[in-house]
Amino acid sequence: MTGESNNGMQCAEFDALLVDALDENLSGEKLQSFRAHARVCANCGPLFAEVEGGRRWMKSLAQVEAPVNLVHNILVATTGQESTGRTRVPASSFKDAVLGWLRPAFGIVRQPRFAMSFGMAFFSLSMTLSIAGVKLSDLRHVDLRPNAIRREYFETQGRVVKYYENIRFVYEIESRVRDLKRATTPAQPAPEPNKERKNHDNTSGQPEPRQQRNYSQWENQPVLAALPGDSPVAMGTTYRRIV
Amino acid sequence: MVDAQVVAVLVRRCLAGDAVAWEDIVQLYHRRIYNICYRFAGSADDAQDLTQEVFIRMYRTLASYEADRGAFMTWVTTMTRNLLVDHFRKSKHDRMTDSLDTPISEHEDAMPLGEQIPDKGLPPDARVQTLETKDVVHRSLQKLSPELREAVILRDLQDMDYKEIAAVLKVPEGTVKSRINRGRAELARLLQRTYKQVM
Repeated sequence: MTGESNNGMQCAEFDALLVDALDENLSGEKLQSFRAHARVCANCGPLFAEVEGGRRWMKSLAQVEAPVNLVHNILVATTGQESTGRTRVPASSFKDAVLGWLRPAFGIVRQPRFAMSFGMAFFSLSMTLSIAGVKLSDLRHVDLRPNAIRREYFETQGRVVKYYENIRFVYEIESRVRDLKRATTPAQPAPEPNKERKNHDNTSGQPEPRQQRNYSQWENQPVLAALPGDSPVAMGTTYRRIV
Repeated sequence: MVDAQVVAVLVRRCLAGDAVAWEDIVQLYHRRIYNICYRFAGSADDAQDLTQEVFIRMYRTLASYEADRGAFMTWVTTMTRNLLVDHFRKSKHDRMTDSLDTPISEHEDAMPLGEQIPDKGLPPDARVQTLETKDVVHRSLQKLSPELREAVILRDLQDMDYKEIAAVLKVPEGTVKSRINRGRAELARLLQRTYKQVM
């Protein structure tokens, strides 16, 4: 800033009048001198333009809105009370409230290990239902009225009892038939334990002599026919092949 | 502007323990104080904390307010300004060590300082599109020295007269005018440089 005088005004005086000029508080001869100085002074002219520009930029800034919770937070921090009721924090929607309530639970559920466990459980359940022949589409037609459930219960119980009785009857018949068979057929000799063990103890790896085992001649077998000589042709009893 | 008598009654009621009167005071002044803090501190989070701090201090020292010594608005603004100066001093070290990658705006998508350094590789029109005027002005304001910043904020954003500003800043009116002039000129130069780089 120089101290030179242009049109009867010093630069220092121009500087002091700058805000008044921008506030439009200058008039008359002073305003004329101010404008003349701004036109001719190499320092003060650009300075005036800059200050005017800066003021314009500042005025372009709008007032910002305070956060919605600010008053609430101030009241809590000062008086410890939320509000007297006249000013309230904007209530969050029902959806937000529900989400806020469920968020902690979902936070746990969303962990990978829980997700994997739930996935496996669901998979197991669906597999079990599928194997058991249960279809979800059938469940839609299920009558869930108390009377219907009660009737279904008794019907199911009746079916189970009937099935059990049928099975019991069949077993009893089978048992009787087995007794009759046993009574009509001659007694079979009990297998010799030593021989059986002998067969099982064969660990030589050699193939078993089947023909000998199935058709071998035992000492106690009755000889029904024989060629001249000692070799028998047929025997009265045969034994089932023991596998 | 709220009538001085109304405020005086509110203060008296508040001092008598009337919670409603205190809530009225908070309602009347919180937006103004928040704006001063936001424009001075530059961050919405800081502004919220500082505003809360101003009201806590106000609540504790309300009894020390004397209506005949000045307007309640001046008293509140002085308190706000003192707190902002304290905050500025405390956070000076943090700002000096601020990372180039840290955005100065509270918005997550704001450009970090590193990206604000002009890069001749990008086309100018792309830069113009990404820069919002108000955000640029707000960020340029943060680059002014605190003395100049507080003066232009109180004058151009809060519309306080020179006498009130002088009372808040505790400096003569001439100094206030000089600071306002220098602050506006500096801001214009900063923005001119920014847009020259952009264009």
